[in-house]
Amino acid sequence: MTAQWILLGFLPIVAGIALLQSRRLSALIGMGLFSFLLAAAYLLMHAPDVAITEATIGAALVTAIYVLAIRRTGRLIVVADEVPGLMAREGDRITGLEYEILAGFAREIGLDLTVRFVPMRRIHWLLSHGEADLGAGGLISSAPPTGVRATPPHLETGLFSYSAAEVSDENEETAHPAHPDYEGYFVDLADHGRHQMLPSVVHSLDLARVLALSRRGIDLEGLTRRDGTFAYGFLVSENRQEIARDYANYLQRLRSSGRLDAMIRRYVV
Amino acid sequence: MRQSRRLTLIAALIVVGFIGTIAWTYFSDRPQPLETPLYLARPVEETGAINRVTGIYLNYRLLDTLLEVLVFSVAILGIQHYLARSKAVRLPRLMESEVVRTAVSLLSPLAFLLSLFFVLFGHLSPGGGFASGVIAASGLLYVGIALGMKEAEQRLSPKRLGRVEKGVLLLLIAYVLFPVLLGRTPLTDLLPRGTPGHLLSGGSILIYNLLIASKVLIGAWIAIVSFAQHRGEL
Repeated sequence: MTAQWILLGFLPIVAGIALLQSRRLSALIGMGLFSFLLAAAYLLMHAPDVAITEATIGAALVTAIYVLAIRRTGRLIVVADEVPGLMAREGDRITGLEYEILAGFAREIGLDLTVRFVPMRRIHWLLSHGEADLGAGGLISSAPPTGVRATPPHLETGLFSYSAAEVSDENEETAHPAHPDYEGYFVDLADHGRHQMLPSVVHSLDLARVLALSRRGIDLEGLTRRDGTFAYGFLVSENRQEIARDYANYLQRLRSSGRLDAMIRRYVV
Repeated sequence: MRQSRRLTLIAALIVVGFIGTIAWTYFSDRPQPLETPLYLARPVEETGAINRVTGIYLNYRLLDTLLEVLVFSVAILGIQHYLARSKAVRLPRLMESEVVRTAVSLLSPLAFLLSLFFVLFGHLSPGGGFASGVIAASGLLYVGIALGMKEAEQRLSPKRLGRVEKGVLLLLIAYVLFPVLLGRTPLTDLLPRGTPGHLLSGGSILIYNLLIASKVLIGAWIAIVSFAQHRGEL
């Protein structure tokens, strides 16, 4: 009898805990726990049939379906090219300024951050087809392509280009795009650099990649810094305006509280 | 924002009204039953089922249970109907981790075994068709996770199974209406009660449990597959 009342007393508490979770998975586990407690209470009330049904439906089937349902919606999927300092693997972890910003943002909106490293040329396609929420990894996006939008910039940078004398002035923009323009992974870029093939695969590179390449001892002769101001931002699909809005608010707060500057000092010297 | 506040208010009113109604009926004078109801007096002798709960909902209150099965069928039909309007999405497959796949392939046979036990012994011990069907559907869901939903969907096509589901429902209705042909009231149990405690006892309860379990199993599987097709890879 006492155990029954204790269980019943726990029910609203567990329900409240489940409601207050910002992570959906935690809320779901709370819901499953609620079902289990309820099933136990039914059992103590001599209603084993109801207890079995509650446990199988509430705790097993519904929880399983919900878990599977939030696998896509419950996470913030970021597609990125690896750039040391901004977002890069280090052992089995990912570190970098952009990763820290996005991890904080995901925590804030209650989603689990999933980073998938993809080749540079895939980022735009994945975003505009709804396969990912945010594009990252040293993107300079003053003029984003159709279907995606740029978020407010979080870090100023410089842009370097190979001075191509043979390029005539009218297609200056296509020859020297205002963003890093290679196609594959950054690691492939470093391989090309080791074989002195860099100018054949890329026209423009940003500061973080240039620094990372030169740290690997790759010859960067011919690259010149371009005039103008450039800044890193993220890309968001046009259909995900709520994420763009949330992120803009988050970045604003990060900036005004001084935490962004602290992060930048930690990763960029 | 204002609309969501209004919705919250309406929801709160509904909850308060619901609790109020229950409290009102609880504390007001209720007519006391004059004698022990029939279904509490000699349920085991009359239904042949040791599990009195099953005896009640599959014998005395069979009509309620049939309506419940009908409600379930309508829910499944609704899922199929409304999801069929939205376009099926084909997203690249998310592979489950090895841990999950191993765990579910160990769990699914257990789920099927438990389901079989519940449906066959529903009239002897706690269990019954509904719980059994849901457990088996969970087992199928585990198989779906282990194989990948697409593969599982091809092996157990919901289109073909949908017909079986409707067939089971029709069979159930035909079974409970059959006594009419013999000049008896519908829902009459024509089978012998048997010795309470034996597997073959309880009249038609075992048959009802089997029919309901297969109906719930197929229905839940159709719902899972429909959600998987239209809301992304499970």
